[in-house]
Amino acid sequence: MLTVIIFLPFAGAIAALALWREPKMCRRMSLCVALADLLLVTSLFFAALRPCPAGSWLLLEDHSWIESLNVRYSLGLDGISLLLVLLTALLGVLSILVSWKQIDEKVGLFHFFLLSMQAGVMGVFLATDLFLFYLFWELQIIPMFFIIGIWGHAERIFATVKFVMFSIAGSLLMLVALVSLYILHGQATGHYTFSLFMLTGFPMSKTAELLIFSAFLLAFAIKIPVFPVHTWLPDAHTEAPTAGSVILAGLLLKTGAYAVLRFAFPLFPNAAFASVPFLIAVGLIGLFYASWIAFAQRDMKRLVAYSSIAHMGLIVIGLAVWNRITVSGAVLQMINHGITTSALFILVGMLDERTRTRDLSEMGGIWTRMPIFSAFFLLFAMSSIGLPGLNNFIGEILILAGAFATHPGAAVIAFGGMVVTLVYILRLVQETLYGVPRREFAEMCDLSGREAAILVPLALAVLAIGFYPGPVLDLLQGPIHSIVGVGVGRMAALP
Amino acid sequence: MPADWVILLPYIFLAGGGLFIFCAAILRPDASGLYFAIALIAVVVAGIAAALHPPGISFGGMIDAGGYARFFAVLVCVVASFTLLLSLRYAQKRGIAGDEYFALILFAALGMCLTASATNWIVFFLGLELLSISLYVLIGSSHDEPASNEAALKYFIMGSVASGFFTFGVALLFTATGSLDIATSLAKIPPDSAALALLGLGLIAAGIGFKVSIVPFHLWTPDVYQGAPAPITAFLSTGSKVALFAALLRFSLVMSPELFSYVTPILWGLAALTMIVGNITALAQTHIKRLLAYSSIAQMGYVLMALLSVKHEGGSAVVFYLAAYAVMDLGAFGTVALLSRGGSDLDAVRDYQGIGYSNPWASALLAVCLLSLAGLPPTAGFIGKIIIFKSVVGAGFIYLAIIGILSAIVSVYFYLSVIVTMFMKPEEVPAGAAVRVDTLGAALSGCILLAVILLGIIPSPLLSLIESVLYSFRI
Repeated sequence: MLTVIIFLPFAGAIAALALWREPKMCRRMSLCVALADLLLVTSLFFAALRPCPAGSWLLLEDHSWIESLNVRYSLGLDGISLLLVLLTALLGVLSILVSWKQIDEKVGLFHFFLLSMQAGVMGVFLATDLFLFYLFWELQIIPMFFIIGIWGHAERIFATVKFVMFSIAGSLLMLVALVSLYILHGQATGHYTFSLFMLTGFPMSKTAELLIFSAFLLAFAIKIPVFPVHTWLPDAHTEAPTAGSVILAGLLLKTGAYAVLRFAFPLFPNAAFASVPFLIAVGLIGLFYASWIAFAQRDMKRLVAYSSIAHMGLIVIGLAVWNRITVSGAVLQMINHGITTSALFILVGMLDERTRTRDLSEMGGIWTRMPIFSAFFLLFAMSSIGLPGLNNFIGEILILAGAFATHPGAAVIAFGGMVVTLVYILRLVQETLYGVPRREFAEMCDLSGREAAILVPLALAVLAIGFYPGPVLDLLQGPIHSIVGVGVGRMAALP
Repeated sequence: MPADWVILLPYIFLAGGGLFIFCAAILRPDASGLYFAIALIAVVVAGIAAALHPPGISFGGMIDAGGYARFFAVLVCVVASFTLLLSLRYAQKRGIAGDEYFALILFAALGMCLTASATNWIVFFLGLELLSISLYVLIGSSHDEPASNEAALKYFIMGSVASGFFTFGVALLFTATGSLDIATSLAKIPPDSAALALLGLGLIAAGIGFKVSIVPFHLWTPDVYQGAPAPITAFLSTGSKVALFAALLRFSLVMSPELFSYVTPILWGLAALTMIVGNITALAQTHIKRLLAYSSIAQMGYVLMALLSVKHEGGSAVVFYLAAYAVMDLGAFGTVALLSRGGSDLDAVRDYQGIGYSNPWASALLAVCLLSLAGLPPTAGFIGKIIIFKSVVGAGFIYLAIIGILSAIVSVYFYLSVIVTMFMKPEEVPAGAAVRVDTLGAALSGCILLAVILLGIIPSPLLSLIESVLYSFRI
């Protein structure tokens, strides 16, 4: 089942390459594949909503793969990965729809990379063998490299090379750490393995643990991205085609945060514990610094990109505080951020297709021209600043309230950060939607049926999570309980 | 114990094929298709013979015919057959497809097999010279290209000096230990002549270091690789390096642990230097053959790094990486051969602009091979690198591993920049003028592409084969 979920998009990718002569067929076929995958994942989701006593793992798969290294092909699905896989499948469908008109060159190749990236991201969310995880982790970089590099905007090559160099630098250092962990565990126990379950709780010397943890954290921090290593993200977003931005913001950033939660913290509890103040600090810096920069942006895509760094800063804080409430909040916020930021990127992309510009100073008065578009825009902007009743509010309140119990100072400052978010998002809304309508935009048409079909599911998700987050949070409870419980010595922090 | 001639069958086929081509050329001059067919059949039959023939040691223990030697004989035959297939159209277009071209490829392959299977210094020297002399001629086989002649001369002079070093080293080692048998001379160094033996060993290492282009003996590599015809460059960079590293691995395996501990710091330094210099110099290259030359230097640094850990891990990392390297470098240089029109090779990176769309198969192969050389999944190079780092870290050389990974990060940049040129920059050449790769070329690309990816996804069969081969070697 899990294998099918991962490899269905990949099969679609190969088929897309085979259909490269017929763009129309290729688009339809890719859409069908992505929809089929979404259907599969959705059915899993509804199956999982029913109470199941089987523990935190809903599905597990395990086969031997490379015997001489004891590498196993093992996948596992729990509530956290289920939600993220669902998000992946949804955004996979949407990114194909978004590119329906925007991508008209080398369509087959584009869908090949898009679908194989989707497969790679799902692999990251499902792998429970570190080797397999690493494989998927790197596998998702290469398609993105091509998507930005071939279909991006003017400065695409610089942006994509910067993106890959940051990612690879992080992941190759992680590779050494991964191999060291494997060797240390093997030498200590006589059993060489990459399995997450076996390696969890393996006692190491302090220095070794700290060094290996730092290498892992660096790789993940680059992906999230955390403050000093975030500079690749605005460039990559600005130059990427809309589908690229959607996948980047909605999924790739999530893999970083997910990996911290699934691998870095449980594997190295002591080092992780030592790094908490540092992580909270960089999270806070990221929150304020990125908001500040976002405020100065004239390019709408860049603004949304910086806002996304700011939001990820809050998620880092939620993870770093590491109690059940904040971690639930962080995971929920990962989903929310995936929905909201993708929607904003899609909207900016739609505007860009019509106006051929993303410069804020050339916008204004869109509301009178495109009321439906503007309504969606306002909804997602409000969601982004955490308006009660919408999805982000729930995640943010969980993180802040959970953090307040143990780190009141950080929580208070982070709350200040929320206010800063308000400022630049409101300015974004004000400068685009309101004001005097521009004459050049007089003939802009409102959303087409396809475009509305992209936004409606996202809007529904925003409202659903905002009003009734119960089922989603229930789904997270089991796995988060078992993951957070691993951090020995920190149970006392639980409220 | 099988008879000597049975064990020698692969060598007999290779040598006989070469001689047969010369005879055929007397009767039928200028029949390049015929020479090609004979050469291909000889190589394939030799490969099959090597894979099937019974294990043993022949000629009074001078030639090893155990699993280890046979594994490398098969690998060399595979490389040689791909070189032949890549050469046919290439050589015909340039009018260099004479009898000597194909026959010398066979002789060079014979030399490579001999170096990989020699258990005696004299036989090893025979193999080394046979492969070198054949390659001197092959490199210069584009008579009308000044670059080709220059490359041949450079390789000849450097190669002769290296052979000189090597012979003197063997002589010193013989004086010190009184044996020409490789295993005996390396197993125990008499204490009173230890200095002499170490000096000899150093000279031998320098001689082989020239041939496998380890920094600081690498300076000839980019010039020769650039000047030689592209299929020959592919053969030179894969076949001869694989064969010589097979020999180096044999030396390291039979060496006494005490002696190996003397060598370790030197190898450590050479490996670090080779990886750093190779990868950093490659950054500045604007010609693809030079870039690949520096990349292959750096790749040898990784293998050297793995060689350090043989006493812990038994060398399977070296052998696997050599096999993976042979496939991916064959693919990389092979693409250059496929994409070159008549005249000089398609060499400047600039000329590859937009070629990804006019030649999808060939450029997909080049892209995958470059990603594999950079060590990205799901390719042979990825698994190879993981295994190397596993054994290096396992043997306790953590700093060397970190140097290796840092230089690998640097290398990603230049590999990607070639891919960027191929796929992301607008096509400069008008579409009509672009080279079209023929069916044979596309099929070859497909095969290598498949091999690179399959080795990356299912490495287990090859890995277990290597384990068993190394096991039989130790007995």
